[in-house]
Amino acid sequence: MENTSQVPVTVLTGFLGAGKTTLLNRILTEQHGRKYAVIVNEFGEQGIDNDLVVDADEEVFEMNNGCICCTVRGDLIRILSGLMKRADKLDAIIVETTGLADPAPVAQTFFVDQDVADRTKLDAIVTVADAVHLSSQLVDHHEAEEQIAFADVILLNKVELVEDNDIVKVNDRIRKINPFAKIIKTTRCDAPLDEIVGLNAFSLDRVLDIEPDFLESDHDHEHDDDVTSLSFVSDTPLDMDKFQDWFGNLLRTKGQDILRSKGILNFKGEEERYVFQGVHMLMDASPMGPWPKGKDRSSRVVFIGRDLDNMNLKEGFENCKSA
Amino acid sequence: MNADLEKLQESNKTELERRGSIFNIGAPATEAVTIRDQIAVGFGDGTVRFFQSGSDPKTVKAHKGVVLSMTNYEDHVLTGGDDGRFLKISSDGNIDEIFNFGSKWVDCVASHKDTKVCSSGKTVYIWTKNKDKPQTLEHQSTVAGLAFDNKGKRLAVSRYGGVTVWKLNNNKWTASNFTWKGSHGTVTFSPDTKYIVTAMQENQIHGWRINDKADLAMRGYPSKIKSFTWVGDTPYLVTSGSSDAVCWPFDGKEGPMGRKPIVVANGGKELATFVKALNGEKAVFTGFTDGSVLLAEIDESKKPIMIRSSTGSEVSTIAISSDNSQILIGDLKGSILLSSLWADN
Repeated sequence: MENTSQVPVTVLTGFLGAGKTTLLNRILTEQHGRKYAVIVNEFGEQGIDNDLVVDADEEVFEMNNGCICCTVRGDLIRILSGLMKRADKLDAIIVETTGLADPAPVAQTFFVDQDVADRTKLDAIVTVADAVHLSSQLVDHHEAEEQIAFADVILLNKVELVEDNDIVKVNDRIRKINPFAKIIKTTRCDAPLDEIVGLNAFSLDRVLDIEPDFLESDHDHEHDDDVTSLSFVSDTPLDMDKFQDWFGNLLRTKGQDILRSKGILNFKGEEERYVFQGVHMLMDASPMGPWPKGKDRSSRVVFIGRDLDNMNLKEGFENCKSA
Repeated sequence: MNADLEKLQESNKTELERRGSIFNIGAPATEAVTIRDQIAVGFGDGTVRFFQSGSDPKTVKAHKGVVLSMTNYEDHVLTGGDDGRFLKISSDGNIDEIFNFGSKWVDCVASHKDTKVCSSGKTVYIWTKNKDKPQTLEHQSTVAGLAFDNKGKRLAVSRYGGVTVWKLNNNKWTASNFTWKGSHGTVTFSPDTKYIVTAMQENQIHGWRINDKADLAMRGYPSKIKSFTWVGDTPYLVTSGSSDAVCWPFDGKEGPMGRKPIVVANGGKELATFVKALNGEKAVFTGFTDGSVLLAEIDESKKPIMIRSSTGSEVSTIAISSDNSQILIGDLKGSILLSSLWADN
């Protein structure tokens, strides 16, 4: 359910030196007429001083509910609850994470904690990537890969320092990991703020924006622990029971390796489109209105994760087709 | 407004609302404490206001942002804010800054006699009489709750993974750890100091019997428990978080172990958000998500009394004056009802 009083939260990731602080300073100092609170981490780069900057400890907590994926940011629950008591309404909250942090616990906090979910909503995960160093960081640090994989928006920053054909290469590398993120090429993070904050990227109807062009199933990679993406399209309607069995079981057993999942589904006998979007084992799903007239009713699903080849995803998806 | 509608609204008011005063502050009421015949309330706009029957509240501009925590201290209140300041405030508006933590929030405060305590991040700071420099106690994660026992000899500090109970001996604090997986928030000692109980970031409260560290897991709530209060001589620990006030008995050797709680003050589809004992009685005020407040005896056969009707905004605090004559009810929209508890004779 869409609740207009929920404050949108943007999660900002990226390696040290990629330009996160430049972006945060822009958000805090530009005359945009909006009120943004920024939650920074204790190991952050210096140079931000503002009443609306909050220091956080990045305390990642395991929930007691038995789900091994349910790590959340306990400090974030506390800080968001404090910010919600303010008399003046915030237009948005930006959560900075350290360069080496796994973005999953931050995202999961918005799925798992009821108080947080009632008052705020995850707007988008924005990753600032250094065009000069991203390729080597992807080789050396699996965190860099995860930050690209989780992102809804990627600021490919410092493009002025890189030759054009190298930009194409790094762009392709990003696309292999994450086919649906929006990539914005920037110098000093100079993207318009309305392309970064207030996007509603986690809204289920945004799943409908998945571009069919990105959905090519070819992928080749060198290591088994690389983050890759796989996608499938079907023009045959799916069987709802079969899909729920397969997908539920998949997230339960392989959710740790599936970083993000998104899809639009055409179920046999259903007039409405179904959409879903997930982070690890947690996901949101709901009907999203009738199919547009004159357009193909095709089901599309995307997975981003590790070891996707060993999950029999293609076979599993094919088996969901209605007879 | 037309006259009929006005009449209808008037007739739907409770007796307490009719004889009380309503103040619209416009910022969420975060905390309330009683100092003699006054009730101090902290708000989301950084003000602390002192309410007293028969006069307008006195406003003190204390913090820049939110008053996150508050307790009483002699004739003053101690407050912690999201502006990093730990303050001592008198009802005539005198502000004494005890410490400024800069961009770190002051999440929790506590006091016992002349000892002032606050937490910021993972550290607890303790100021004792006539000492300028605080003693510090370190913890493995951010402190989310502070409570003294009734003698001021032990200080419970809740955090991720459990509670650290610090004991004061010869001016030295020694730690004892009570462990339970998960994130622990508000903490309290039972009045006989045999138990400690925390509200968790999950839908449960957790307790320990202090002498043998036996665990008491109190589960089954549909939402988080934001408030609890000790009621009566048994005593009962009454909690929010459900459609009723859930009352756990802490008498006998085993306390609530293996026993079912009593449930009173049913709010229908509304969830209880704040509970407050009526001093000296086996009765509790329960505030709900819609702003309504019920007064109920801890007795399932008795009917609760509606003392505040729905305001549309969640009850965030309730305080009773020390002589049991006045009640103050605050909500998240910043509406304050101050009323006498008893009809004039």
